[in-house]
Amino acid sequence: MEDSRPSPAPDSAEKWEIQLRKGSLELAILASLWEGSLYGLEILRHLESSSDLVVVEGTIYPLLSRLRALGLVDSEWVESDSGHPRKYYRLTAAGRRRALEMARVWEQFSGRMASLLEPLKKGSPPKKEPPLSLKEKS
Amino acid sequence: MTVSVESQKTIDAYLAELRRQLREFMNEDANDIVEEIRAHILDKTSGASSTEKIAETLAALGTPAELAGRYRTDELFRRAQRTRSPLVSLHSLFRWATLSLTGIVVFLVSVVGYTLGGALVLFVVAKLIFPRATGLWESHNPDGTWSLGLSSSSGGTPPPGAHDLLGWWLVLIGLALGPLLIVLTFRFGSWSIRRFWRPRAWPRA
Repeated sequence: MEDSRPSPAPDSAEKWEIQLRKGSLELAILASLWEGSLYGLEILRHLESSSDLVVVEGTIYPLLSRLRALGLVDSEWVESDSGHPRKYYRLTAAGRRRALEMARVWEQFSGRMASLLEPLKKGSPPKKEPPLSLKEKS
Repeated sequence: MTVSVESQKTIDAYLAELRRQLREFMNEDANDIVEEIRAHILDKTSGASSTEKIAETLAALGTPAELAGRYRTDELFRRAQRTRSPLVSLHSLFRWATLSLTGIVVFLVSVVGYTLGGALVLFVVAKLIFPRATGLWESHNPDGTWSLGLSSSSGGTPPPGAHDLLGWWLVLIGLALGPLLIVLTFRFGSWSIRRFWRPRAWPRA
């Protein structure tokens, strides 16, 4: 009889990675603003150069707008030499607290995950499991 | 910075469409969004006036409808928390229903609540217009079964053999229960949004 267990979809690892990146994007944005205020395109470039977070350009502005609505960032228009004003974002006090809190959770979580993943680095094949019928008898 | 007339037209058309898509926003908010996107496009294409570069920049932002849609979900929920209109509330709940299971449940409960509330109010109106034909009818059928139903017929005659249980009490009860149900449903929607909907700005702990 054929094995009817569903095999994992070939793109499931990719989907998981996308979710992981999405989930960490907000922390990455808040962290980018830690040192000072930046405008949208600067945040994008900062994320691309200092992490491998490739952000779809059309998502960052609505996200910044949401962070502003949540009171985590503040914004102001600043005139520039380029001939048009730019909208700069900076962290609010609540945004700083949130960034610290998220960073703490992140550190704790990634530390524990790293120790959990330690055995995988050895790369040894898994032990052969006894057939189910033998396990049931014992 | 040099942007050819042709490229400028492309950018202007994109921004005009974005502005149109954001028509349900407050003027100030919509203009702010459009200006920020304009600055982004100008910064990305500064020094390069090629139509390819501009097309690439606009493609990276998504179509105006897609871009506006990303802002709109948040805006709808913000409005839902401020609004006093059941229609705006229901619109937001519908949007929520397309996003999560909780949204579907809250939306369906709200639809049932508004429908029942609205129906009760309609029966009151019908009772005032067709007093003899509208009522909560109790009828003992010839085959021994018994039935109870709220109905109104525009013919002006009650269902044959039926007895109206409520009479003019229907108006009083309908006027009390109908609006109450609508108000409660509205409050349930607002409460659910406050209680269960969170902008996914960070992963939930």
